[in-house]
Amino acid sequence: MQKHSDETLVAYLDGELDGAERQHVEAWLAADDAARDRLTGLAQSADLLRSAYGDIVNEPVPERLIAAARGETAGEAQPRAAEILVLRRPQRSTMTMPGGRWGIGIAAAAALFGLVVGGTGSYLASGLLSSGNPAAEQRLAAAAANNTWLDNAAGYYKLVVSAGDALTIDVAADADSREALQKASLPQTRWPDLKPWGLNFRGARLVVVEGRPAAQLVYTTENKAIGPLTLVIGASKQSDIQPTFDHRQDVNLLYWRHQGRAYALVGQTDIGYLWGIANDVAWQLDAI
Amino acid sequence: MSPSWKQAEAPVRAVDRGAQVSQRFSDQLIAVLPRLRRFARGLTGSASEADDLVQAACERALAREHQFQEGTRFDSWMFRIVQTVWIDQLRAREVRKEDANVAEERLGSDAPVRTIEARLALAEVRRAVQFLPPDQRTTLMLVTVEGLSYKEAADVVGVPVGTIMSRLARARIALQQHLETGGASRRSVKNAEAQ
Repeated sequence: MQKHSDETLVAYLDGELDGAERQHVEAWLAADDAARDRLTGLAQSADLLRSAYGDIVNEPVPERLIAAARGETAGEAQPRAAEILVLRRPQRSTMTMPGGRWGIGIAAAAALFGLVVGGTGSYLASGLLSSGNPAAEQRLAAAAANNTWLDNAAGYYKLVVSAGDALTIDVAADADSREALQKASLPQTRWPDLKPWGLNFRGARLVVVEGRPAAQLVYTTENKAIGPLTLVIGASKQSDIQPTFDHRQDVNLLYWRHQGRAYALVGQTDIGYLWGIANDVAWQLDAI
Repeated sequence: MSPSWKQAEAPVRAVDRGAQVSQRFSDQLIAVLPRLRRFARGLTGSASEADDLVQAACERALAREHQFQEGTRFDSWMFRIVQTVWIDQLRAREVRKEDANVAEERLGSDAPVRTIEARLALAEVRRAVQFLPPDQRTTLMLVTVEGLSYKEAADVVGVPVGTIMSRLARARIALQQHLETGGASRRSVKNAEAQ
């Protein structure tokens, strides 16, 4: 009987009883002080349990898990310099290339990098690859790291969209930015005011970029055509790059690096709008 | 320095298999990651083991993408995969009897937690969960933490609703008793310190 009572009480707490059963339990509770105490204890322990695990969903999701969800493995998502093998170029291609060609070269190398990680043995066996070109290795590493970081910026944006109103913010919009960011171990930065663009700053979230804490600033708007927009700011050891457009996972990105900071403006709005906002962000943060 | 446009390098998937993963499926998976991590944390009692578990579950889900039925709950499907992978790992490692001791060591090494009573209480709850048998732990996390109905939890675990009811009741009673015992011992320690 006691076991049945416990099951019934727990089911009552969980809202799993139908109308007649619920009435029966309520009548029982009204007449039995011990049952009421037991119910109170069960309710309190359930609340404690939810609190004990509540914050975990607000923690930044590790990059390796986002990479895994995209069908990449952890090792591929976090490339290490020592693993990078460089395409041996024909003699002609070692000459100075026109500016535009470097991008193609890096893209090709980056594409090969993916294959290299997945199948190093076969490429080594074919003799197409060799190491020992530090400059090329560095650029290749930058291209590979760029891929990961931009994919993650898009992934973090999607988390914001999917969370909707349930989104949890690490640093509230009305907090003193520098102090609050410092407490949350986020990179020191100001957050740009984008109200002229119809975007309200909702707060900052702690995310991880290249293995280090980064700030994801979240802006929302009533205008569905513009949708939410995020600005990810993280520390970077890579060289400066000009604002560059990319499209990942159905999301538009405008990213650049400036004086040790990597920036990515992410949204589903059109690129012209993103470009205007990026200019404003850069002006406010002196980031370009 | 005047900003100028250029087209970014073409996005590159690290592996060919990644290109075969549908965007929609991948999006759903990314969206549910925070809850999967929480569920896995409840099962394993360890942040790093939980993330390893979620990663393994993601890989299994991607390999079985074709088995997911549109129109059904994606989170439930993923909870089931996480739970299945975890059970596989438990069987492989035969660590059932070690769980409580391991959890004890983990909490013991987390010194800052012990300095704040509120956090200590929550840590004690998580510790108490690790003392529960795996089937009760799973049920407790699915229903009480993740908010699944008994029917949904039954579908995830693959048992009748009645089994969920009994497992949940046993888990809740055991948890409450453990917390009462822990709370009493903590009060004893505080009283001793006061004297």
